[in-house]
Amino acid sequence: MNEKQLTGAYRKEDFGSAGSRRLIRAGRIPAVIYGKGENVHLSLDAKDFINKMRHFSESTLLTVKLGKKEHVVLMKDYQENVMRGEVTHVDFFEVTTDEVLRTNVSVVLHGSAPGTRTGGILEQVIYDIEVECLPKDLPESIVVDINKLGLNESIHVSQIAIPEGVKVLTPSDTTVVTVKALREEAAPAEEETEEPEVVTKATEAPEEK
Amino acid sequence: MLSPKRIKYRKKQRGTRDGVAHRGNYLAFGEFGLIAVEPKWITNRQIEAARIAMTRHIKRGGKVWIRIFPDMPFTKKPAETRQGNGKGNPEGWVAVVKTGAVMFEMGGVNEELAREALQLAASKLPIKTKFIMRRDVE
Repeated sequence: MNEKQLTGAYRKEDFGSAGSRRLIRAGRIPAVIYGKGENVHLSLDAKDFINKMRHFSESTLLTVKLGKKEHVVLMKDYQENVMRGEVTHVDFFEVTTDEVLRTNVSVVLHGSAPGTRTGGILEQVIYDIEVECLPKDLPESIVVDINKLGLNESIHVSQIAIPEGVKVLTPSDTTVVTVKALREEAAPAEEETEEPEVVTKATEAPEEK
Repeated sequence: MLSPKRIKYRKKQRGTRDGVAHRGNYLAFGEFGLIAVEPKWITNRQIEAARIAMTRHIKRGGKVWIRIFPDMPFTKKPAETRQGNGKGNPEGWVAVVKTGAVMFEMGGVNEELAREALQLAASKLPIKTKFIMRRDVE
């Protein structure tokens, strides 16, 4: 089973929210492919898609087979019903092989930070980075090595090893991961909370001057 | 306990908790979270109890984010008073939580510990909740 190949069926009627609900009830997921050409509406098998979804990210090139035609796409977005644990809609973006594209690539931490052994807390600040590149250069994920990350140290976007041909659009001074020293927990607040100050025109007036 | 510092009016109308949360319904900071499966008012005492339960369980290990804030005053009439004579006195603060709202988030801990800690927090809340985590690509 190829995890990066999806098989869909054309959706030519029964659009709208009611039609989509009927489709979801029948065990399928409504989806759309957009890009340079005309939009293509399709439906995917829900079970198959959710199984395969675990193996690809938003920056994985996928092939969607529709009849005899194959579309090379990226999963741009998906909607899910968290309560029911079901995917309700998927957006695919059709890529053109010779044109640069912008997408988000997930950041994966590798190793264990020595700072966490000396009382620090590892905090991942951003989970994906916006990049611009040709589809052939697009990495599935960007690995950040945290084996040398000590206490009160951070890794910024500028310090990450980026594959060749990939241009990062996220500001270079953005913190990706940090190890912060733990602050002592504040003393328990008083049982009775104070009455908040009621903002009236009389109290606001001095501030305006 | 959480409560507003400045307010515009002492008393508020109760409003409605119909529908689902369209804001605050995703993981913004941490890797794991606790979402509300039903709508309810959550008092500042309940939020504090949940916070203490989970921070004690993770033993200074990770980080906790509280995504709800009790900014809604609730009032009560004194006991044995007849109806009428105006709205009661403010008694406390609640956060209006709608279905699907992410109430707590946690990061810097492994999944097992986060599940246990958020389960303890959930037991301090008057609603059904669900554990969620970021989509993991294998």
